[in-house]
Amino acid sequence: MSGYPTEIKLHQQSRLLEIAFDDGICYKMPYEYLRVHSPSAEVRGHGTGQEKLQTGKKNVGIVEILPVGNYAMKIVFDDGHDSGLYTWEYLHELGEHQAELWQDYLELLTAAGQSREPSH
Amino acid sequence: MSFSEADVQGALKNLTDPNTGKDFVSGKSVKNIKINGNDLSLDIMLGYPARSVWDEIRAMIEAHLKAALPDSGSIGVNVTSKVVPHAVQRGVKLVDGVKNIIAVASGKGGVGKSTTAVNIALALAAEGARVGMLDADIYGPSQPAMLGITGQPEMLDGNFMAPLTNHGLQAMSIGFLIASDDTPMIWRGPMVTQALDQLLRQTRWDNLDYLIVDLPPGTGDIQLSLAQQVPVTGAVIVTTPQDIALMDARKGLKMFEKVGVKIVGIVENMSTHICSKCGHEEHIFGAGGGEKMCAEYHAEFLGSLPLDIRIREQTDSGKPTVVADPDGNIAKNYRQIARRIAVKVAEMAQNHSTVFPKVVVQNT
Repeated sequence: MSGYPTEIKLHQQSRLLEIAFDDGICYKMPYEYLRVHSPSAEVRGHGTGQEKLQTGKKNVGIVEILPVGNYAMKIVFDDGHDSGLYTWEYLHELGEHQAELWQDYLELLTAAGQSREPSH
Repeated sequence: MSFSEADVQGALKNLTDPNTGKDFVSGKSVKNIKINGNDLSLDIMLGYPARSVWDEIRAMIEAHLKAALPDSGSIGVNVTSKVVPHAVQRGVKLVDGVKNIIAVASGKGGVGKSTTAVNIALALAAEGARVGMLDADIYGPSQPAMLGITGQPEMLDGNFMAPLTNHGLQAMSIGFLIASDDTPMIWRGPMVTQALDQLLRQTRWDNLDYLIVDLPPGTGDIQLSLAQQVPVTGAVIVTTPQDIALMDARKGLKMFEKVGVKIVGIVENMSTHICSKCGHEEHIFGAGGGEKMCAEYHAEFLGSLPLDIRIREQTDSGKPTVVADPDGNIAKNYRQIARRIAVKVAEMAQNHSTVFPKVVVQNT
């Protein structure tokens, strides 16, 4: 079992989520990074190869964070996306591999000819 | 005055509660110490229901104090139990009238989960707790028959139902709401989870110390929505010693771990078969499987029960063993398991480490 969160801060100006766990680890992750890596089936699809690349989320905001049982939290984004359940385990993973995962995402965007900028 | 309150506390610090393994002072059980000359009186408030052992504990404490405080005159110890409510998640709605929710689950069907659940519930009630039974098996509700309850719940004001009662338990089951015993619930997942939520929240539970939830087997919709939406204190896993049952029990346990529901412990059912003719006891499903699983997953072994025809007959007839034969060995076994569960739950209730933190919103 991964650590349990002890503190969650939403930095609304810099759009950063700060989360501290009881195992002493603390991560700061941009809202956009969390949004494009949402574990929801709307993003991941229902299997390998069915992932849907998320684009234009540079300015996405977080409206609310809700606990799900004892193991996860639901992030409600201001673009209406609210179906991702971020387990403590997944948040650890996102925090730990932030640099690589973000780089991978940028490469996928470039390859698809898409952008982080909102389309309108 | 030849001794002080601190002397009394000091003496009780050296006495271990055999049920919790902790001394009475650090267990915060000692209240209301009164010293009058050489006479002493105090209250012991246990965090778990234990009516059947109150006298034993009182005698033990009185003897201990007499020995530790040789100058004392009369010693009066009053033992009671008070069950503490469990700390729950922010966001997860509390269930009105319920202090603790204990789920009884198994990976596999047919291991005696419902029988174990009902007997544990009755054993907790026999120890003086207020107990409810929620039958979460929507497709195959068995609690109405096991509790010997027929009839429909009375509708109260608003959308609430009164639980049905028998043997001192408050009970709710989908079985009370359907027309007849052979009416199948032909429902898809979302209907089932909604039904569970209604049975839980639209029943007017009356001041329960424990609500026992008898879950269907498996790791699907019902179990997941229970973990996500219901403030469960912990889960009890029932298994038989058979390898094939243990395999599924492990999956059940891992599922609860994954979704952050604490495991209270494991009950091994049908550990041995006792021949009703000759009384010979035999490990027909293999020996020691439950204990091995506990060691593997660092879970507590809560106890084991024999495969005894009386358990089946009594429970099937609507009068489970704990009420049918309260002085028998099997009932004693169930009571011991129930006490272990209650002690563990009391420890969990005091642990607030898994309460969801407040989300701080900053303009930074």
